[in-house]
Amino acid sequence: MTQRADQTRPGDGPARAYDGPGASSAVRGINPRITAQISYSIDSTIPGEWHLRIIRSAIPAGRVTGFQTALLDDDVIFLTADDVSDLNTFGCQIADQVVLTREPKFVGDAIAAVVAPTARDARVAASLVEVDYEAVPSVFGEMDAIAPGAQLVHAKHYTSESDSAYFDMRPQDGTNVCHRFRIRTPALQGRDEPEVVPHLDDPDDALADAFADADVIVDEVFHTPAAAHVPMEPHATNAQWVDGRLEVTTGTQTPFNMRQDLAHIFGLAAEDVRVVVPFMGGAFGAKTFIRTEAITALAARKAGRPVRCVLDRDEVFNEVTRHPSTVRIKLGAKRDGTFVAKRIWAYVNTGAYADCGPGVAQKMGYAGVGPYRFDHVAVDSYCIYTNLPPGGAFRGYGAMQSIWAAERVVDMMADKLGIDAVELRRQNLLHEGDTFCTGEVMHDARFEELLDDAAAAVGWEKDGDRRGKGVVVILKGMQTPSKAEARIELLPDGRYEVQAATADIGQGAGEMLTRLAAEYLKVEVDQVVVCAPDTDRVPYDTRTTSSRSTHMMSRALADAARDLQVHGTIGHGYVSNDGGLDPDTGQGIASSHWHQGSASAELEVDDETGIISLSTLYACSYAGKVINKHGAELQNEGSMILGLGTALFEELQYTEGQMTNPNLSDYNIASALDVASIRHRVMEVPGGEVHGLGETAVPPVPPAIGNAVATFGYDVRDLPMTPERVLAARLGDTFQSPTGEDPQ
Amino acid sequence: MTWHLPTSVDDVVRTRAERPEAPIVAGGTFLGILVRQGLVEADEWISLQRVTELTRMHSAGDLSVGAMVTHRRLELDDTVRTIWPGVAAAFKAVASPRVRNRATMGGVLADADYASDPPSMLVASNAVAEIASVRGTRRVPVEDLIIGHYSTSMEEDELITRVVVPRPTGAAVYRKLRTRSQEDRPASSVAAVVHGETVRVVVGAVSDRPYHFADVCSQWRPGDLDSAREIGEEYASRIDYIDDNRGSAAYRRHVVGVEVRRALMAVAR
Repeated sequence: MTQRADQTRPGDGPARAYDGPGASSAVRGINPRITAQISYSIDSTIPGEWHLRIIRSAIPAGRVTGFQTALLDDDVIFLTADDVSDLNTFGCQIADQVVLTREPKFVGDAIAAVVAPTARDARVAASLVEVDYEAVPSVFGEMDAIAPGAQLVHAKHYTSESDSAYFDMRPQDGTNVCHRFRIRTPALQGRDEPEVVPHLDDPDDALADAFADADVIVDEVFHTPAAAHVPMEPHATNAQWVDGRLEVTTGTQTPFNMRQDLAHIFGLAAEDVRVVVPFMGGAFGAKTFIRTEAITALAARKAGRPVRCVLDRDEVFNEVTRHPSTVRIKLGAKRDGTFVAKRIWAYVNTGAYADCGPGVAQKMGYAGVGPYRFDHVAVDSYCIYTNLPPGGAFRGYGAMQSIWAAERVVDMMADKLGIDAVELRRQNLLHEGDTFCTGEVMHDARFEELLDDAAAAVGWEKDGDRRGKGVVVILKGMQTPSKAEARIELLPDGRYEVQAATADIGQGAGEMLTRLAAEYLKVEVDQVVVCAPDTDRVPYDTRTTSSRSTHMMSRALADAARDLQVHGTIGHGYVSNDGGLDPDTGQGIASSHWHQGSASAELEVDDETGIISLSTLYACSYAGKVINKHGAELQNEGSMILGLGTALFEELQYTEGQMTNPNLSDYNIASALDVASIRHRVMEVPGGEVHGLGETAVPPVPPAIGNAVATFGYDVRDLPMTPERVLAARLGDTFQSPTGEDPQ
Repeated sequence: MTWHLPTSVDDVVRTRAERPEAPIVAGGTFLGILVRQGLVEADEWISLQRVTELTRMHSAGDLSVGAMVTHRRLELDDTVRTIWPGVAAAFKAVASPRVRNRATMGGVLADADYASDPPSMLVASNAVAEIASVRGTRRVPVEDLIIGHYSTSMEEDELITRVVVPRPTGAAVYRKLRTRSQEDRPASSVAAVVHGETVRVVVGAVSDRPYHFADVCSQWRPGDLDSAREIGEEYASRIDYIDDNRGSAAYRRHVVGVEVRRALMAVAR
């Protein structure tokens, strides 16, 4: 059983191991992460297991016509698409994937696998297999892929309501659009419109009248690249079949979705699949839904023994990425600054498979509307197949991409109107009781406090000198609908075991559950133990994503504690948040509670080299009530560090669909040396409810920096803001982008 | 896998002469990456970890740096910081402390990686490498040692034993331009060292090897902004630039002119 970690820092008091049954005690006062006392997914092994290596496509699109395997040793087990004929297709929102494919759709797609007694044997065996291909034309950029007549990545669209994260899909036949999401506020509904707008300048906009009352319009296009999650621990899975049951131990944020999808793939009852989730060394969205689990389970079935799969670093880079995007924003305002209307077109590059791209596209759509009032809003989000590696969940979940564009556009509007950028925001903010574009009425709205706090952090004075300063305010939704269950069991020794499927990714879920249970049960924290997620032992939870766990699980746990007091030894708790949006009008409940945040930056730009020097990078996230102050601060800091890398460094590059920088030398993330300017606040209010804050501070960071850079005349549209992009944005220099192609 | 652990330079060069396929490992920060990425494979390896004579450093007269002296020692040594501040700065600019604690003087030259910090400063400082083999010892200016991408003028059986940096007579400046993380390698690396009335400007990390143009440097008028600008522009125009994740060739051409000018103005202060 996995030992859970403590978030406590030396000096904060003694650290505890809150420990699954059988865990050894942690060294007191020292973080068990540092002393290597945590057993991660990658440390889990099963005696007698063999090792899996995946053989990956070297072409971005085509057919596998044959394998040369003559050099393989006799004991090596070789798997191909022939071995998956009895398996069902899968995909958390669209069932468009097979476990091994004959028709690879990106460089890195799994086309075969070898299983051998040692990891080294498997690696050698994989290198001895030669593959024959027949290539077909491919398409990589989202705007190329949505263009009329573009090569189709999938010959037809798939739908399936049995998938673990399904909602109403709107695939567009004859195009690469696997889901189209729209928001239309009431006056804009029911118009005769084309289903797909495949270009960035649409002269025949059927909704142009929404801007009739606007004196000034800003209409601009922005771009974000693919990016890597870079969890320190790679994907690691062990699979074993026991008496017809499948047991998988794996690093996943989605244990119950995993169980459902594996059961579907192998034609099993959900109860015949067990998913156990040890502590993870980071995930950031990379460990959601089926990754290495199905192929490892298949290999274990064929080998008749346990099988282990651990990805290499370059494979982690290729496994799933952040969606590249092109976002066009059209914002209209009256001369006095009152916002009138907003249109958003979000083109979301989901790569070869949908994964949760439809959900990302939807969230990208409404997050870009922002915490502002409008008479009219229309959003069109397109989730588009291409021949790049699949995009998936990524800390910020689509919000970053559209907020980058939307909050830059607010500053452009302020410039055009000659109104202070903070005042323009304040003038249009959503307040308690205002209606969002989805029809939801805002509650617990804190946008003005957040805006003021971020502005104060960089010494923003109304109509003062704003050179080198940028301020941003955002909203971001939480997974809705979703469910959380928790169970608390009184153990024979008098301690209480918390049984919950919230996975500890490194965010301190175990700490959160321990503290909350102790509070609700009115006992000391050392009387509470937490069971690692195990689908045989813990009750259902939607997943550990979307910054929902503390908000949802805290209430399920409170419910369980109340139930325990009634029933004596076992207490069950259950909460759900209902809602969802109509895919054609975007009306409904986008989010049962809103993540609200702000950020600001103060910086200099070297006008000869384009290098940005940050003196302050600040973010404020609304938390309501904080459970674990230190853990909350770490989450806020971590989000800002990711936002900083996103803003300045991070970009996956491709040449003909082949990733050219899948390593940590050629792909830079922010290091300890880059974060000295970071300051932040977790905003609490007396009597506030528990809000999630695992990613709130990611999306506002890039536009806060971008807005500050723009005050020097550098109008950067593409992330990351590399020095040469900064220079080119003012000087119009034709510095070509670094190796790799422009996705547009 | 077999590790040979010689304890003297004589042992090393003899072992290497007998096993020309066995890589020599100094700090392992570069070879370690190549091995992890599957780019280097070998059954036999030669470690320099026990060759204590390679860890010696002396600063009487010229600076004599054994091949196994780490970046971190050069960065922190009081005498190096006082007398050879440009050298200390260039080694301090490399990666992070955990890399600098392992990476060595011999290793960074033998790798001849275009994107390293120290080579441009060593060339600008007129540093000379001492190279041993079973055939004896020879001296090669660092300027003639690194001849292209990951290639040196060394023979297969040769070992860098130490590097000698003359005592400078003027100011030295190292300018590292980072376009991404502060832990990143340079997008351009400009070293300028004043020797009497003349200056040696060397530009690294933008092409296959460090570049020095003596005829351009000879035009220098100390403290004259126009002179510094002209030299910068001349350097910018003479180099054949590479594109990589740290910057395009066009961007590098632009910033080399700026960085050379800034380095020249800094050494003239």
